[in-house]
Amino acid sequence: MSYRPRAVHDDERVEAPADLDAALASVRRTAAELLASSPVPPATLNVRAGDVSVEMGWATGEAVATTTAAPTRLTVVPAPEPTGETINAATVGVFYRAPSPGAPPFVVEGDEVGRGQQVAIVEAMKLMLPVEADKAGRIAEVLVADGEAVEYGQPLFRLAAADQQKAA
Amino acid sequence: MFETILIANRGEIAVRVLRACRELGIRTVAVHSTEDRDSAVVRMADQSVQIGPAPAKRSYLNAAAVIEAAKQSGAQAIHPGYGFLSEDADFAEVCEANGITFIGPPPAVMARLGDKTSARAAMTEAGLPLLPGSVEPLADAESAKRLADSIGYPVIIKAAAGGGGRGMSIVHEADEFARTYQQTKATALQLFGDGRVYVERYLASARHVEIQVLADQHGNAIHLGERDCSVQRRHQKLVEETPAPGLPKELTERMGAAAVQGALATGYVGAGTFEFLVDTENDFYFMEVNCRIQVEHPVTEMVTGIDLIAEQLRVAAGEPLRLRQEDVRLDGAAIECRVNVEDPRRDFAPTPGLLTRFVPPGGPFVRVDTHGFTGYKVPAAYDSLLAKVIAWAPDRPTAIARMRRALAEFGVEGPGVHTTCEFLDQVMADAEFAEGKHDTGLVARLLG
Repeated sequence: MSYRPRAVHDDERVEAPADLDAALASVRRTAAELLASSPVPPATLNVRAGDVSVEMGWATGEAVATTTAAPTRLTVVPAPEPTGETINAATVGVFYRAPSPGAPPFVVEGDEVGRGQQVAIVEAMKLMLPVEADKAGRIAEVLVADGEAVEYGQPLFRLAAADQQKAA
Repeated sequence: MFETILIANRGEIAVRVLRACRELGIRTVAVHSTEDRDSAVVRMADQSVQIGPAPAKRSYLNAAAVIEAAKQSGAQAIHPGYGFLSEDADFAEVCEANGITFIGPPPAVMARLGDKTSARAAMTEAGLPLLPGSVEPLADAESAKRLADSIGYPVIIKAAAGGGGRGMSIVHEADEFARTYQQTKATALQLFGDGRVYVERYLASARHVEIQVLADQHGNAIHLGERDCSVQRRHQKLVEETPAPGLPKELTERMGAAAVQGALATGYVGAGTFEFLVDTENDFYFMEVNCRIQVEHPVTEMVTGIDLIAEQLRVAAGEPLRLRQEDVRLDGAAIECRVNVEDPRRDFAPTPGLLTRFVPPGGPFVRVDTHGFTGYKVPAAYDSLLAKVIAWAPDRPTAIARMRRALAEFGVEGPGVHTTCEFLDQVMADAEFAEGKHDTGLVARLLG
């Protein structure tokens, strides 16, 4: 699972105190260390600089949220995580689910796919570029309609872990 | 006029183009890399399309992705800004083939003028003065050396496909020639994928003066005066101004007429710049044509009152020029300083990063073209230009004082972030600059 902690200022923007660099660096370092030491990546992570408090929450329990907004609070929140793995568009273009109009789609929801298996086409400048699963799994959801325009990096399919029984 | 224009660029120029479009009631589409998803132009545009990852090769230089985004968003025209795809004749051709208007000269004209040797040949034909040197690319080291010997040293060896001040080297003595020739060829091949070079006389204390031209699709062309870009560091412009200080009006008018002649002779369309070198005897020599809008275009806008981007759009839409040469009036003096995120104390090393404070200058007759804002993270993946500060005044000394006032107002802070503001102020405060007697060696002397 990838984690990208992102520094976010408080709503009331701090008017750049002289030690902001140091505070930011320290918060980043602390967050990185906490994430590295955590066996399972947490769903939320709050690091407070003022009165030194650290809060971590995991998806199984309710995420801990602090609402007290101290003016100098710096919060590190993880970037929004897509629910599960996705297969993303490798180019801007038009998304097609089937090899030709009227043909059955490459994959439907519930299909097991292997790494490198073609699951769709993105057409860019009359080039039909195959979309391949970059990991094995089960197609949990098709996120884009056939013939729709997609951007670079846009999630096309949501993948669930491969069926345990089949994998065994 | 177009209904929708796609802006195939980033940074301050993307914002600049968007502003012109908005004033003309044109819908805008911004394309961006993953790195630029929170950029100013993306926030301002009517629509945005993510076209690739951070590396420019896979996003802003990816012609297929840009065309695809234009088709998706229903854009009828693409404004390429400067850099990236702006002088790519192949891209202009692909636009044409897809029924999209490329805002710039026709592909064939771009190809001819983009190559420095064929541009030299075209301008010789058009009757423009050129520095003694080769018109054709040099065949081999021996004939190149013979030519250099006949020109007399110093000479400069330049890449035919070069640009942006890269791929050129100066040879001071005859016995250095062979080695430098091979090196320049190798560099040119590496940088531009084209090892062809040519040679011309090198003027040690020349001034770099360029003429802005505007041409339509109906055979009309005008010039909008000159710009002096002599404050450079390693062939990178730092300060530009108009009028060129100390140059006789009669001379700049002749240069303007020569540029118009060159534009008409080659079938140029749109906004373009003819670059010249002016020597100490006030003789001028054609250097190259830039087939795009330039970074320093605002100084021309300030003294003419003409929105160059809007004119580019009108010309691209097929409208005839609305101005004749006699309608162009040059009023007062304008200076532009390029504020880069660079540290002059560390050899101008780029200093990208988060801007925790960004307060651009304001006040009378000061214009700031920028994509910066408080909270913006200047990416490391692209160039270091953060803002252009432009000051206008009725005369040059007042414009310099105004620029110094503006630079002092500019507040940029962030972890590890430095700007060139202080260094630019040093240039403004320089006695030689104040007298307008500086040349392209000024920055080296200030740093030395």
